[in-house]
Amino acid sequence: MSKTVTPWLDNLLQEIEGIEIRRKDSRRVRIDIAADSLPTLLELLRGRAGYVHLSAITCVDWIDESQFELVYQLWSYESQSLVSAHIRIAREPGVYVSVFDLYQPAAFFERDIHEMFGVYFEGSPDMSKFILTEWNGPPPMRKEFDSEAWVNETFEWKDYQPDWLKEITEQGGGIVKTPEETRQKNP
Amino acid sequence: MKEIDIPIEASVGQSRTNPLARVFDELVRFCRSRSMFMLHYCTGCGAIELPPAMTSRFDMERLGIQPMVTPRQADILLITGYVSIKTLKRVILTYEQMGSPKYVIGICSCTVNGGMYWQSYATAKQLDQYLPVDLYIAGCMPRPEAVLEGMRKLMDRIRSDEADGWKDYYRRYDWYLGNQQHLFGDDWQTPADVIGEASHYDLAGPGTEGEHTRLLQQCQKPLEPQQTFFQIGGSLEKKGEFHE
Repeated sequence: MSKTVTPWLDNLLQEIEGIEIRRKDSRRVRIDIAADSLPTLLELLRGRAGYVHLSAITCVDWIDESQFELVYQLWSYESQSLVSAHIRIAREPGVYVSVFDLYQPAAFFERDIHEMFGVYFEGSPDMSKFILTEWNGPPPMRKEFDSEAWVNETFEWKDYQPDWLKEITEQGGGIVKTPEETRQKNP
Repeated sequence: MKEIDIPIEASVGQSRTNPLARVFDELVRFCRSRSMFMLHYCTGCGAIELPPAMTSRFDMERLGIQPMVTPRQADILLITGYVSIKTLKRVILTYEQMGSPKYVIGICSCTVNGGMYWQSYATAKQLDQYLPVDLYIAGCMPRPEAVLEGMRKLMDRIRSDEADGWKDYYRRYDWYLGNQQHLFGDDWQTPADVIGEASHYDLAGPGTEGEHTRLLQQCQKPLEPQQTFFQIGGSLEKKGEFHE
C-alpha cells in the first residue's frame, strides 16, 4: 500500500456532513468535524481504512469560546499515516460519547480527560479517579483553575533571605536573582 | 537552615556511672557514620546523579555508603527531587518503617522550596514540614561531587551527634502530623505507632501529642489486609478498592 492516504478515502470523507480536511503532509491529515459525526468517522477510518491504532485523545480548553476541543489521533500501520480528528464540544455541561466500543484504549484516555478537565464520557466503562487519587479540588487542567493561587493558599514558603545567607552574600556569593524577581509576572 | 527550637529534657532517672560510657558512645557514633545504608527514593530527576556517585567513578562505597533495598535495613532516606503529594504519602510510610537512628537527605531544589515546580498543584513544597530533614543538598541537580560533599557533611554531623532529626520527629510529632493532615485530610493514618515508639525511645516530649494526634486517634481505623487483584484479560470492570 502506498504511504499516503488513499484518494478514495478523501472522496469518501467528503460525503460526511460538516467535515473539513486539511492535508498537513503526505502522511498527516487534519480533519475538523462536527461532534455528532465523529463516531461515524472513526467507524469508517477503523473499519475501511485501517486506522486501527488510537494513539491518544487530547483535550484543549478554549475558555474564551466556552468550548472543549477533543483531538483523536489515529494511526494506520498499513499506510503509515496519522489522522487527527478535531471536534469541539460545549464547555458546559461538557459531555460527550465514549468511543470505547471502537477503540478499547479510549477508556484510559477518557478517564484521564475526565479527571483533568471534567469532561464526562457517556458509555465509558470507568470514570472514577485515575492518577490524581489524592486530589479533591476542581479538575486542575481547566483554564479557570489558578494553580498558583491554590499553591499560595495551601503551602508556605521558606525564607529566601535567611541570616546565614547574608554572610555568604557579603563574601560575594549567594543568590544572583531573587525568586521574587523571577516570580513577577511579565506585564 | 532555620534554627529549630528543640526543648532539651534532662535525662530521666538513672545517671550514668560507667566512666567508659562516653568512649563507647563515640565509638558507636564513629561506626554509625562509617557504615550507612541508604534507601534512595527516586522521586524525581536528581536520582540520575546517584549512579555515578555510587559506581566506580566517584565510588561512594569507599566512604561506607551503600544502597540498600528495604527501608527496614536502611539508615538514610534519600529524597531525590520533587515530591508529589501522592508520593509524599509513600515517603512518609517508608520513613516510619525505618529503624532508628535514621536520617533524611533532601536532594535538589525541589525538596527545599518546590524548585521549578513551585506553582504546581501536585507537588509538596517544603519536605521538612512533613519529615525531619537532616541535610539538604541544593542544586538542580547537584553533581555527584556535591552529593558526596553532602554525605561527608552528614557523616561529620553523625559523629558529632548533631544529626538528630529522627529524635525531632518523635519530639514534635504533633507538628509534623498536623502538616501531613493539612495535605492528606483528617483521616490520614499510617501503620506505625509513632507515639508508642517515642515513649519506647524515651523521647516523648511536650510536642509529641497534641490536637493533631487526638484527631488521629479519633479517625483511626483498624488495619485491614490489603486486597490484591491479578487480572488477566481485557475486562476493565472495577474489581476492588485499594486500601492503604
